[in-house]
Amino acid sequence: MSRTSLFEQHVALKAKLAPFAGFEMPIQYEGVKAEVIAIRENVGVFDVSHMGEFFVEGKDAISFVDYIVTNDFAGAEMGKAVYSPLCREDGTTIDDLIAYKLADQKVMICVNAANIDKDWNWIDSQKSGFDIELTNRSSEFSLLAIQGPKTEETLKSLGFENTSAEYYSAFESKWNGSNVILARTGYTGEDGFEIFGSHETIVKLWSDMMNEGVTPCGLASRDVLRLEVCYPLYGHELNDELTPLDAALKWTVKAKKEKFIGRSALVDTTSKKRLVKLSLDKGIPREGYEVLDSEENSIGIVTSGTMSVVLGKGICLALVDRDKFPENKEFKIQVRKNIMNANYHTKAFVNGGHK
Amino acid sequence: MANIPAELRYTKEHEWAKLDGEIITVGITDFAQSSLGDIVFVELPEVGDSIDKEGTFGVVESIKSASDLYSPITGEVVEINEALVDTPDALNSDPYGSWMVKLKTTNPSELEELLSAEDYAPLCEE
Repeated sequence: MSRTSLFEQHVALKAKLAPFAGFEMPIQYEGVKAEVIAIRENVGVFDVSHMGEFFVEGKDAISFVDYIVTNDFAGAEMGKAVYSPLCREDGTTIDDLIAYKLADQKVMICVNAANIDKDWNWIDSQKSGFDIELTNRSSEFSLLAIQGPKTEETLKSLGFENTSAEYYSAFESKWNGSNVILARTGYTGEDGFEIFGSHETIVKLWSDMMNEGVTPCGLASRDVLRLEVCYPLYGHELNDELTPLDAALKWTVKAKKEKFIGRSALVDTTSKKRLVKLSLDKGIPREGYEVLDSEENSIGIVTSGTMSVVLGKGICLALVDRDKFPENKEFKIQVRKNIMNANYHTKAFVNGGHK
Repeated sequence: MANIPAELRYTKEHEWAKLDGEIITVGITDFAQSSLGDIVFVELPEVGDSIDKEGTFGVVESIKSASDLYSPITGEVVEINEALVDTPDALNSDPYGSWMVKLKTTNPSELEELLSAEDYAPLCEE
């Protein structure tokens, strides 16, 4: 079991720790509710150092990344961050990632911790014909995600000089004399930055954040926050069998791109599944619960479910077979022995405050 | 350190039981509420339900997960604490004041098998 560079700090803060993607990670500190509220209303920070960082450098760095992802990376402005699935030729999803266009010949890719080896092997196997150098620097970086409406003023107090980046952009900078990469990205729907740096730098930054009163937040609150704003999580809404179209990510598949891996399987086709957003007035939908239509025929399955802290209701994402999607938009969820009427949502459960 | 009142009896599944003749009152322990974190939902049985020892009599849910509640004894539900359904967080703030069900035992010999505070304490070491 691996530990991040902040393990001792988590223990000192009495975090509940649990294995996640091969790392012993903080699940919660003070409590999930308090942590969700801190991020929606104030400022909190996650240690997400378990995530992977790959660098693509060289003349073809941008065209290579554009080729392996489904979203438009080549067309993004310099300094932008682009969210995208990473797919096989048959359209199935290897992972979802964020690619950061740091310079003409320098791209950083941030991938899910559980998929580092799988992604690396895949990406490395696709590079022939491209003039690039590919490096897996996951073990060199620690990563903090500071999130919430008071992020910018907190970073200013901590001595960050440049905090004016646009949402979904990134740049290389210095903090406390050390190199860092700042990205205005996150997984909560709120404004915030992800800060990549050496282990030593990030340990110092974490300690300064604690002194500044930033709330330490664990992976349990992170899951509630992402689900409230309906962001997919690999292993739940996406996996090796599903395509981005199944997970309502058609917006990340750019048909106008002439060439990218998975294009023939993903363009001009319809998905077998539809991702729906459902809530319950009583009870909490959980992963694996069955989704039914108004006649109580089984039509799908809950992929992620939790109690929304903001709504005070059970919420979930569920994958429903497209050919069984009910025209009347009436859904039920089987919660243990009971079949409960579910509310169908067309918009995210919570509007994040990101800029 | 988890609070483990000496006068109560316990199960290895972290329920507490208060014995009063043939009626036993059941809830979850301080250790259980602390392990679960913020409790947001409670499902209780109905008065008149028959429950087996170690059978499930309800569910308690934190934000993160759902956990079954296991009955300490075989018996019949004679009363439920309906107020808990609206204030599940009381289980966090006052686990021993927040009883869940009262059961009437149909097999009094089972009461002997419940754990004392002393025997339960080692099960709360993380």
